[in-house]
Amino acid sequence: MADPLTIETTGVRKRYGGVEAVRGLDLAVPAGSLCGFLGRNGAGKTTTIKILLGMVRPTGGAARVFGLPADAPAGSLAIRRRTGYVSEEKDLYDYMTVEEMVRFTARFFPRWRRDLEQRYLQRFELPLVARVKALSRGTRTMLALLLALCRGADLLILDEPTAGLDPAVAEDVLQALVAHVASGDGTTVFFSSHQIAEVEQIADRVAVVDRGRVVVSGLLDDLRERYCRVQIVFDGAAPEAAFRTPGVARVQRTGRVLTVTSSAGAGPVLAEARTLGPASVEVVPITLKDIFLESVAAQRED
Amino acid sequence: MLWYKAWLETRWRFLIGLLVLVCSAAATVFTYPKVLQLLPLVPPEGAGGELGRRITEAAALARTYRGFVWSQGFGQDLMRMVTLFAALLGVGGVFSGSSGAGSLFTLSMPVSRNRLLGTRTAIGLVELLVLAIGPALVIPLLSPAVGQRYAIDEALVHGVCLFAAGSAFFSLAMLLSTIFSDAWRPLLVTLAIALVLAFCGQVFDGSGEGIFGLMAGDVYFRTGALPWWGLAISAGTSGLLLYGAAATFARRDF
Repeated sequence: MADPLTIETTGVRKRYGGVEAVRGLDLAVPAGSLCGFLGRNGAGKTTTIKILLGMVRPTGGAARVFGLPADAPAGSLAIRRRTGYVSEEKDLYDYMTVEEMVRFTARFFPRWRRDLEQRYLQRFELPLVARVKALSRGTRTMLALLLALCRGADLLILDEPTAGLDPAVAEDVLQALVAHVASGDGTTVFFSSHQIAEVEQIADRVAVVDRGRVVVSGLLDDLRERYCRVQIVFDGAAPEAAFRTPGVARVQRTGRVLTVTSSAGAGPVLAEARTLGPASVEVVPITLKDIFLESVAAQRED
Repeated sequence: MLWYKAWLETRWRFLIGLLVLVCSAAATVFTYPKVLQLLPLVPPEGAGGELGRRITEAAALARTYRGFVWSQGFGQDLMRMVTLFAALLGVGGVFSGSSGAGSLFTLSMPVSRNRLLGTRTAIGLVELLVLAIGPALVIPLLSPAVGQRYAIDEALVHGVCLFAAGSAFFSLAMLLSTIFSDAWRPLLVTLAIALVLAFCGQVFDGSGEGIFGLMAGDVYFRTGALPWWGLAISAGTSGLLLYGAAATFARRDF
């Protein structure tokens, strides 16, 4: 039986005036997964996250978290009781001290993890008496992460958690996240990023969003298995072949070379390629970055 | 804890307002001996024109301590400053930090928007009540220092009038803060509306029944009757404005 879904959206839309930020977004995040939400700047990641948390009301479609409607006030309240969140701007109360911020947040969450609080205060070396306003961006991110992790949440939603951090601090954040998930309480993590490498590093599942739509989603290992690139080299100019094989995401023709990206394995593409009389055919390994770029490019060509 | 957050966000505006208003009330008391010395210089017939009429009226009021306190304190200085600080306390609405900082963090907490707005409103109104009543009570407290007496119950009534009318400006600033995302437009629009109302009150309405007439406790000063209708209308207006703020806040995207 499939894992129950922690996040499920169907045809979600959000329009701001004349701009449609999210255009029929379908997303499914199973419980217990660590899902990277990958997309370029302005692809609709933050708007989607805000819809899930009830900060933005969708103009169409349905968004459910833990099976509860995210756009209903009561549902949203119940969702937020079980969710830890770090915003893109690491939005906190500048006028509070670190200690006040921790005490303030803890009061709202009956399942607040004092043990984790102590552990992360030490690990992140957070200065209790310092005002939030005075914290560096990295320390501020660590505090925001602590406040999300200690809620005892079933779901962590992190919007660009490593944005603006130097590589060393970004690595600390990712390691803390992985360690938290590895502690084994079944927390689902949904984090947005435009850093492909970090998604590849920690996520077991990925959803690629572009122009307000999910263009690729699934388990990372499955995607790596399914997606491939076939390079077909001809003696003369490459023919203008259409490639009707199911799963062909994109066909590029450059001089004597046809490059075919498939989301359904190499077999059917190889079979069709051979009918064209090529000089050579080669299956090239594909990375998440390639999958991302190909999916986004294919979406643009559509 | 939401109370604590609302207090932290508004405490400086409140404390500065309290200091300014208390100083203003004290200044009203301590300038009275000087005014008494100057009174004989005002010609009994008065000068001609609107200005002359006003000088004569002010001099007539200043002949009694009660009249002077009303005309200078409750009818002018305290009224204007309570209006200003009521607007300042309402500005920012639920997210009173600079530029709404912390708003997404607040919205991610398991708290309904109505509760957020309700807590912020309650704190703001309590602070406004202290700003209105506290300085009003300073007057009877300090009056013996200049050899005068001022009734505490009268000061209380004026304080309540300041609060009731001031709460309408507070509520207007709250409503505007749920509409605009910055802090300046709600403040400027609220103060502009207050200026227009004050101007209209001066030009079209001399009965003292406008919002500033209520704020000054005009009817109470002249007749001794409590302005129940004015208080009720002011409370109703504030309620409607706050209802509008809640409705706007509930629908707003962040």
